Amino acid sequence: MATYILKTLLKALVVVLGVSLLVFVLTRSIGNPVNIMLPLGASMAERANLTHQLGLDKSVLAQLWDFASGVVRGNFGESWWQQESAMTVALRPLPFTLELSGIALVISLVFAIPLGILSALKPRSLLDKLTSTSSMFGICVPNFWLGLMLILIFSNLLHWFPTSGTGGWRYWVLPSVTLAVLPLGRITQIVRTAMLEQLRELYVVTARSKGLPEFWVVTRHALKNAGIQIVTMSGWELGRMIAGYAIAIESVFGLPGIGSLIVDAIGQQDYPLIQAITFVIAICIVVLNILIDLSYPLFNPRIKFK
Amino acid sequence: MNKKSLSIFLFTLVVSTSLVLSGCGTAAPNTPNPTAAKKDTISIAIPSEPSTMDVQFADDGNMRAVADNVTESLMTLDGKTMKVIPELATEISRIDNTTWDVKLRPDVTFQNGNPFTADDVVYSIKRIIDPNFKSNIAGFFATFKDAQKVGDLEVHIITSGPDPSMPTRLTMLNILNQKEMIATPDKIKTAISGTGPYKIASWAKGQSIVLERNDNYWGPKPSIKTVKYRFIEEDATRAAALKNGEIDFATNMLPEYVSTLPQVQTAEGLEFSLIRMNAVSGVMKDQKIRQAASYAINWDAISKSLYSGYASIAPGQVFKPSYIGFNKNLKAYPFDLAKAKQLLAESGYKGETITFVGEQGRWLKDGEQEQAIAQMLRDAGFKVDVKILAFSQWLGVLFPQDPTTTPPDMIFTFHSNDIYDADRSYSTYVLTTGSASSYPKTLDAQIIAARTELDTVKRQQMYEAIGQTLYDNPAWINGINIKDIDGMGKDVVYQPREDMKLMVSEMSFK
Repeated sequence: MATYILKTLLKALVVVLGVSLLVFVLTRSIGNPVNIMLPLGASMAERANLTHQLGLDKSVLAQLWDFASGVVRGNFGESWWQQESAMTVALRPLPFTLELSGIALVISLVFAIPLGILSALKPRSLLDKLTSTSSMFGICVPNFWLGLMLILIFSNLLHWFPTSGTGGWRYWVLPSVTLAVLPLGRITQIVRTAMLEQLRELYVVTARSKGLPEFWVVTRHALKNAGIQIVTMSGWELGRMIAGYAIAIESVFGLPGIGSLIVDAIGQQDYPLIQAITFVIAICIVVLNILIDLSYPLFNPRIKFK
Repeated sequence: MNKKSLSIFLFTLVVSTSLVLSGCGTAAPNTPNPTAAKKDTISIAIPSEPSTMDVQFADDGNMRAVADNVTESLMTLDGKTMKVIPELATEISRIDNTTWDVKLRPDVTFQNGNPFTADDVVYSIKRIIDPNFKSNIAGFFATFKDAQKVGDLEVHIITSGPDPSMPTRLTMLNILNQKEMIATPDKIKTAISGTGPYKIASWAKGQSIVLERNDNYWGPKPSIKTVKYRFIEEDATRAAALKNGEIDFATNMLPEYVSTLPQVQTAEGLEFSLIRMNAVSGVMKDQKIRQAASYAINWDAISKSLYSGYASIAPGQVFKPSYIGFNKNLKAYPFDLAKAKQLLAESGYKGETITFVGEQGRWLKDGEQEQAIAQMLRDAGFKVDVKILAFSQWLGVLFPQDPTTTPPDMIFTFHSNDIYDADRSYSTYVLTTGSASSYPKTLDAQIIAARTELDTVKRQQMYEAIGQTLYDNPAWINGINIKDIDGMGKDVVYQPREDMKLMVSEMSFK
């Protein structure tokens, strides 16, 4: 068990460092943030001055060294755009995004699991075909566009929900439903595939011939064995929501999450903040993956960690 | 339970969950109820959350949309005429070439209760020009050398050389309360105390900023009591929120939405598009070729097709009539394809390729405008190679680090003149030592002389002469000014200002 923990932490470290390094190099190749911070007509002297103050006239390696020595001490520097500690700014909107993604995941699972099971029980039926088509739709539709369409229909036309912002439970419905659509599609498909596999197994025949109620055959036995694949995919989708889809959804619905923040940070070319946000998200994904791994014994007690 | 019952059970689960979710929505959401009494709270949506409230540090339009209502400057612009008028100052006069005397308004208090005195003015000026403070807008005050208290309500401002634009520069210098800044220097990042008509009541990061009317304000009492700012990045969502009645006011609306919004008001924006031409080397060096290019563009068509008519054509110069140095005798080059072709033929143009550098995404439909311009040039007989660069790269071409690099034949940009003064444009784009110039030395002496000419009448004449020269021997093609479109509820009364300031004190409800 101890070796497992050590190996996992080492892998996590490599991932987080690798991502941070990649982002570091990429941001410094897209241009000089000084041009965005200063008014368009600023003089050459002003630009040179600010470039020097921000340490951007040093070589990339020198900048990397400065950054790394700061990070080791837990100091991610100060956000150029907000003049506050970059890590403080980055952590503030994180709970919101985690909450939104969590709700979206629950919505997807509530629909995906029953639909996937039903399709697997009756393959090639009308229900199965409808489910396959709609899950494909969920995966292909651009969630950005979908969000705007839902605002148009449910907000402007029907006045059921507000267009944007935060507040009571009503403000959560449209964003979380939009965010849930893609994972719903994918998880439905994985549930269906995994269940089809399990339902073909001999133990299912045995269970049925024993006279076990169908409900228990499907849930306590087949679904549990399919659990590992489903949990892995769900965890993966949750990670993609936090690190990706949430950006578009938060922008469309004007929500104060970490997705909105990184859009602003990139627009402002605020390097310290971009690095801090990337680090935070990388840590979230790593923790998520560890939790998924740790859940496996719940589905298959034979799995051991070494 | 058999297979069939299981299927029915699961199916019912899915359907009932959907019904519950949609059923919950049928009750009316939080739409504001129109009441019989006049509303005193206005809800405004701006594109992005302010980064800070430190008005002296950042160049942030979203911050200004809030802070312009909270802080004030010594001088300000009249909302209609755009002329510089006194605000916290009452009188301003020049004592000698580099010293200005400013008399301050009596009986003014900051929102924190402290009185407004000369100490606050001296502090504010010293702070913004302090190189250790590293303000992003310090460039506007490059000519400010020092400030001295002369009396409780009088200060002297010393400039490093003759600076006729000094009063205009003061419109961008917000006055902070010295006592508060010294006691709590970090407070300004989230809550600034100014002398303005509204004070900051709260800032819920990521969600909203609330302002309350300052009942001790020295000026006329604004009619609206409470202001709530929300941040909605996506234009379509901002428009949708306005249509729904969730907000009363939405800034930066697109021309396409105008017909769907309850009420729309526009103002001439601050930015003019222009295509700078290389008058020093290469194909465009020939004056006739540059004139031909100016005749070739049909700006009216661009305004109508790209901006639904919400763009006005620059009057032969990238200035508005209120700017110092505006030449009222100049008119836009008419669209005359025949004349363009004729001039091109006369110049001996042999079909050399012209490089046209542009960027995309920074301004509304800039990419489309660039492509339209390039095509119109081709129609006139130019051979144009369009190069769209990433914003940072494009900026590096427009404002090159190394002044000896060859400028491109043509480069597209939007130009904003923050101090309403011809010097800003000419010093940047025409003066050979300017940061974005590709013009020969011929006008250098005149521009420098006009910059330091303290006689306002003489100065105006000098700029008009420069303007006329540039009309005949162009440094750029004058483009269009995209109108600023604000959406608002039917009951809102407001005329957007031409300096793009959002002044809630000028708003009211019907």
